[in-house]
Amino acid sequence: MDEAFEIEAQALAQVLDELDYFQVLKIGQNASPPDIKSAYYRESRAYHPDRFSTLPAGDLKENIGRIYKRINEAYVCLRDDTKRTKYLADVLGPERQKKLRFVEASEQELKKEKEQEVGTTPQGRKFYMAGLTDMAAQRFASAERNFKMALTYEPNNPNFKAKRDEAGKLIKNDMSIR
Amino acid sequence: MAEPGDIAIGIDLGTSYSCVSIIESGKTTVIPNEWGERTHASVVSFLEDGTVLVGNSAKRNIITNADNTVYSAKRLIGRFYFSDEVKKAQAVMPYKIIEGENNSVRIQIRENVYSLPEISALVLKEMKAIVENYLGHEVKKAVVTVPAYFNDNQRQATKDAGRIAGLEVLRILNEPTAAALAYGFGKDITQKIAVYDLGGGTFDISILEIGKDVFEVLSTAGDTYLGGDDFDDRIMTWLAEGFLKQNGIDLRLNKYCLQMLKEASERAKIDVGRDASAKIHVEGICQDPNGKVMNLDATLSEAEFNRMVMDLVQRTFKVCDEALQSAKMTAQDLDAVILVGGPTRLPIIRTSVKHYFGRDVMAGIDPDEVVAMGAAIQANSLQDAKSEHYLLDVTPLTLRVGTVGGYTDKIIDKNTPIPIERSKSYTTNRDGQERVKIRVYQGEANKAAECEMLGEFEFSGFRIGYRGEVRIEVTFEIDTNGIVNVTAADVETGQKTSCTIRLSSGLTEDMIKAAQEKNSRTTLARGEAAA
Repeated sequence: MDEAFEIEAQALAQVLDELDYFQVLKIGQNASPPDIKSAYYRESRAYHPDRFSTLPAGDLKENIGRIYKRINEAYVCLRDDTKRTKYLADVLGPERQKKLRFVEASEQELKKEKEQEVGTTPQGRKFYMAGLTDMAAQRFASAERNFKMALTYEPNNPNFKAKRDEAGKLIKNDMSIR
Repeated sequence: MAEPGDIAIGIDLGTSYSCVSIIESGKTTVIPNEWGERTHASVVSFLEDGTVLVGNSAKRNIITNADNTVYSAKRLIGRFYFSDEVKKAQAVMPYKIIEGENNSVRIQIRENVYSLPEISALVLKEMKAIVENYLGHEVKKAVVTVPAYFNDNQRQATKDAGRIAGLEVLRILNEPTAAALAYGFGKDITQKIAVYDLGGGTFDISILEIGKDVFEVLSTAGDTYLGGDDFDDRIMTWLAEGFLKQNGIDLRLNKYCLQMLKEASERAKIDVGRDASAKIHVEGICQDPNGKVMNLDATLSEAEFNRMVMDLVQRTFKVCDEALQSAKMTAQDLDAVILVGGPTRLPIIRTSVKHYFGRDVMAGIDPDEVVAMGAAIQANSLQDAKSEHYLLDVTPLTLRVGTVGGYTDKIIDKNTPIPIERSKSYTTNRDGQERVKIRVYQGEANKAAECEMLGEFEFSGFRIGYRGEVRIEVTFEIDTNGIVNVTAADVETGQKTSCTIRLSSGLTEDMIKAAQEKNSRTTLARGEAAA
């Protein structure tokens, strides 16, 4: 193996935990999906462990393995538009250092989010559902009242707030047409 | 150039047949045995004198030496004793399947007890012997293929089998990936392809993107309970029911009649595929209550056969739907479809596949040999530092950990490229807690009971503190073999904790050593050419 590569690999392994996925794949944050794929192929060509299977076990081999696992991790995240958008926001945010490695919400967290959407209290849920029925029937004023009621039970539910605002806007539009 | 002793062989260890291949002067060659046979029945027959017969000559002993002849071991490898597959095998196999420690499966032959990896190791030993006989020197390294949809237990057990046979297993390679490699290697093509692999006992579909030097698996899906054997079973049921109606005797009640029935069914399947009709005639299959010897006679038409197996064929396409969806593709996006496995010779499969994918299947690929050839290519390139191509494979199943209430939490999604790792933090939930236990599963359901349990990992040796004070970071890794490794470290001290891995059905190091001993002492009998 050539010496330059060995130096590069060891240096990369050193700083691996400080790099974001774009840096791992050596691409810009606005890279297109084909760019991401070709970068993944390029880095795989360089670091795939199969290419080093004859290398004796040791520090270098272990580091190459670690780098390659991170390359796969980066690719899995960046090839998926939803994950990529969330990840980009994470690494541009104030908690960048903590969020260099993308962690998906667990199924339980997702369930909690889903619950949050329709309400966590029985009364909140009841008024929220009534509000949705009103919206479907275009009774916007009544809908707004129901969403406001729901918010008295769950004042911090972002979904309730959004719906209240939506209903509020629609009332105005309704008025202006009349 | 590698030393002669350094040559690595490619082995397709199949449910029904195995095949072995090497690269010889730059050409991929399937190695025949001394009788010129290129595929070898994965059958192990234990003879009275202590020697062991493997291959097509052993297959003929399924009827004459039924109790001591093991076939379709791949259906049982890496499975728990309580699994449905094992129960089903116990009902139809003439050899004795017993329970070993920790819910494992063992096979009893006379007074000897064998684990499944030990049985497969004998098949591998025969493959190794075929190459050694051909080359005239020893070989020590191999790439062994497994169905892409094999879980961690099954992969680990296959790797153990290789070690027991005295082989250094360079890689556990997925069968469809091996086939794609054999198809695209050195061709300089850029294509999206589907590999439809229907073997003796398993079905796999993989979607790949191949380029000049890259083979990327986009998705894989499968069914490890579906294969050519199930087609035989349908014919068997049809024959047995017919016989029962005609003569009032159920042939399935006697294990010997059952074996003759099974053999006749397999032959009928092959005949009906080739000649559009099969004449079944089994001389003296049983005796009636008065001691009169009875024959089995029937004719199977292609239409009748197709009707019997249509639902099995349809089941493979459900799996294909899943794989295409995971790859975010439709059948129209594909450039080629490759058929792998003996049953894909059946016209019903060929026409159904053609219809499903809307294109002709790739011609000129031998469905029995292509996997071994791909394994040989990979074996060779793992030995060669200058090798140019690389495989990007995926894990077929979602990796999960057990949580409270019998549920599981996702750790690594299916179809994630490997090798990959992911860490998860755990805190102690009791004061002075000394151990943390984690159960690991693979499967697509979030209920633990519907997933396959891989094992229980117990960590100890971390600091002892108050509840919630000690944080342990557990790292789950899936390596290039698709095998799961788990390690743990104390977050604050960075100290790696000791970890006891208890894979419920796996073999311990000591057991593998003992098995290696036993395997190297076993003499393989040389059979004779199959008629």
